[in-house]
Amino acid sequence: MKIKLSSVYVNDQEKALRFYTEVLGFAKKTDFSQGPYRWLTVTSPEEPNGTELQLALNNNSAAKTYQQAIFQQNQPAAMFLTDDIKGDYERIKARGAEFTMPPTDVTASTIAMVKDTCGNLIQLTQLARW
Amino acid sequence: MIERERYAPGPANVARVQKDRGQDGKEKWTLVLVKELRHSPEKVWQALTNPAQLREWAPFDADGNLGTVGAKVKLTTVGAPAPRVTETIVTRADPAKALEYKWGNFDMRWQLEAFGDGTRLTLWTNIGHRFISMGAAGWHICFDVLDRLLAGQPMGRIVGPDALKFGDWPRLSAEYAKQFGVEVPNWPPDATKR
Repeated sequence: MKIKLSSVYVNDQEKALRFYTEVLGFAKKTDFSQGPYRWLTVTSPEEPNGTELQLALNNNSAAKTYQQAIFQQNQPAAMFLTDDIKGDYERIKARGAEFTMPPTDVTASTIAMVKDTCGNLIQLTQLARW
Repeated sequence: MIERERYAPGPANVARVQKDRGQDGKEKWTLVLVKELRHSPEKVWQALTNPAQLREWAPFDADGNLGTVGAKVKLTTVGAPAPRVTETIVTRADPAKALEYKWGNFDMRWQLEAFGDGTRLTLWTNIGHRFISMGAAGWHICFDVLDRLLAGQPMGRIVGPDALKFGDWPRLSAEYAKQFGVEVPNWPPDATKR
């Protein structure tokens, strides 16, 4: 068994695709539809065959409730690791993204929090090196 | 089910693309599918509206009859990787003539015309450029299955993963992609390389 895929619920897949590719800088990996269903994933250009992130439509009430509840508690729906959080913060901010937390030192890491425009907070994490 | 095993979709000659300008000035594409069936419009109407018959050929299950204006019906996409249920209200239902409702965001406009002893069936549906050749191939196969059903030789619906299993799927969707002038979809992944 391998962990090759993780998912976030989004309230608009087209908007999500724009944010995760044009703003965050990921690349579209798989995109197919069957009727109104659409399977959409992105992956990091640093790891094209690495873990995929599925942008799943929150088309049921449980998904919507979960997404809104964790957003209201300032909890990230997903977390991405970076080696350059300050650089990523500036780059992503310059593309118009709204951060709710600038890079902030916490125990063992520096974190920042950004809105994904589709109902989620995304955390960027740079692990501290000792 | 020997019929089903022998089935192969014919050439890509069932679908075309209609291009219009939307109010926002953007080009709007509509997939138009036409199928001539050797059965009466009344019989075809039943197959388009009756949930038990839809189950034999359509890419969705309906939890009610689609044949009445105002009917609220839940449509479940069959074979999708996660449950996808959308609710629609039938906006037009002229028995044996015209039927309109939505499947998710897609407008579904059906027209039935008497054609000799049979019916010329037309479906107009708006589907994004990216998936239009797959939609054409999918409906092409569904219409073949519908034809067999009406002839009293049902072979069971071929949708979702079953449709992709046909060796002919990449050929059919690529033919439509070429006709429509869109990129050949790489689905199933690397299908074009096989």
